[in-house]
Amino acid sequence: MRKENQHKILISEEQLRNRVTEIGTQISHDYQGKHPVIISVLRGGFYFVADLTRQLTIPAHIDFLAIGVYPGATSKTGVVRITKDLEVDISGRHVIMVEDIVRTGLTLGYLYQHLESHKPASLNICTLLDNPDERLVNIPIKYRGYTIGDEFVIGYGMDYKEDYRHLPYIAEIIDVKR
Amino acid sequence: MLIVTVSREAGSLGDEIAALLSMKLGAALVTRQLAMEQWLPEIANKYELHMLEESPRFYLRPASCGISYAAYLEQRLRSEVLRGPSIIVGLGSQLIFADAPNALHIRVTASDEVRRSRLMQSYCLDSDEAARLMELGDRKHKRYISMLFGKDWSDGSLYHLTLNTGKMDAEEAAEMLVKVVETREIRKQSALTQAVHSSPAAGARKPPAFKHPAEEEFARILDMYSIEWEYEPRTFPVEWDAEGNVTMAFSPDFYLTRFDTYIELTTMDQKYVTRKNKKMRKLRELYPGINIRIVYKNDFYSLLKRFNYGGDTKE
Repeated sequence: MRKENQHKILISEEQLRNRVTEIGTQISHDYQGKHPVIISVLRGGFYFVADLTRQLTIPAHIDFLAIGVYPGATSKTGVVRITKDLEVDISGRHVIMVEDIVRTGLTLGYLYQHLESHKPASLNICTLLDNPDERLVNIPIKYRGYTIGDEFVIGYGMDYKEDYRHLPYIAEIIDVKR
Repeated sequence: MLIVTVSREAGSLGDEIAALLSMKLGAALVTRQLAMEQWLPEIANKYELHMLEESPRFYLRPASCGISYAAYLEQRLRSEVLRGPSIIVGLGSQLIFADAPNALHIRVTASDEVRRSRLMQSYCLDSDEAARLMELGDRKHKRYISMLFGKDWSDGSLYHLTLNTGKMDAEEAAEMLVKVVETREIRKQSALTQAVHSSPAAGARKPPAFKHPAEEEFARILDMYSIEWEYEPRTFPVEWDAEGNVTMAFSPDFYLTRFDTYIELTTMDQKYVTRKNKKMRKLRELYPGINIRIVYKNDFYSLLKRFNYGGDTKE
């Protein structure tokens, strides 16, 4: 059995509940009459999108995307590809992409390009956690839960070696360095 | 958004072509007159406006808003092009948007004889007066570009196309440009679709000669995410001597074309970073509209570590 990592709570369950409610209220206000499509990126974002969409007071469609790394023909690093694509047609729709965490913005940049190629009427980003200091790709974030530093965070969908996703709060692993 | 920049010699019909193109494409027309009458009065008094009319060097001075007039103008141009398709006449726009993927840079020219004769007709001048006006106009444009950007205005490599209006009229030139814009738009759409749905955007491209292995590693990471990049596509002059010659310039390592972001990697020890930081500071002062990120040694190695650590793709 794997040894439990030491961690300390950064954002409690109650704090998360309150902040998610605030973001949901803001989105409901901004997207009144627009019937948006909320797209979540699996797997880290699934608790956040589930709680967030239940705070919406407007009708919305929900869909999911997932990405993975495949060996590249020309690169040692591999290539990021979509492993689960959209099922909802977002062309001409107002889209909100929901992320658990944005750091360098490379994943976000990849997904943003993918969604943009479907020609939505608008495309905005909502992330629970954001570390702007690490950002490499310049994409505006419209809705942000919390700004964090370079902590290794787990819980509320986010993992360390696939563990800890189930934690109802967000914690920092203190015995692992990023 | 589409950007067409028009650089023109005096009497070459560049202004007329830009106006026609703006009408045909339904694009906003941005001219020096608009900048002088609507933008610059927000930060310049009457005397300063007069100096801005007369002296390119004056553009490098700090304005009341805390940045130079040149930087302010660049800022306004960059926000203007986000509002919709734009045709920009002059203002160094061919250099400000030198690497913008949606930009088409046009230069309009004609022989001295043709231009002189047009100026004589337009302003009821005799041949000598028209020649003087022509020479003065060209000199002003040339100095503006040399002073603010350290470039030669007449360098053909700055432009996609040079039109000689001695051989065609303004209407014909504008029609031709509409076709060029349409062709480029279609090709870009098709390239984007291909990039997103098939292989990595830069996969088929011949890699440039990187100056440092770290740059090559970084390019691989960008390729991994199909994020289009260019290697050292632009040099920003950041310091000039009294004669207007560039004494310090900065060429960021990468430009992420789709996200309009420059990235500078620095894997040097901290003691060597000071000069680079100085250049960065100057760049941000002089070109406040530029998005630039500097990746320091520790950040870079931490990024590499994450990518080598069993495929952690969530960034």
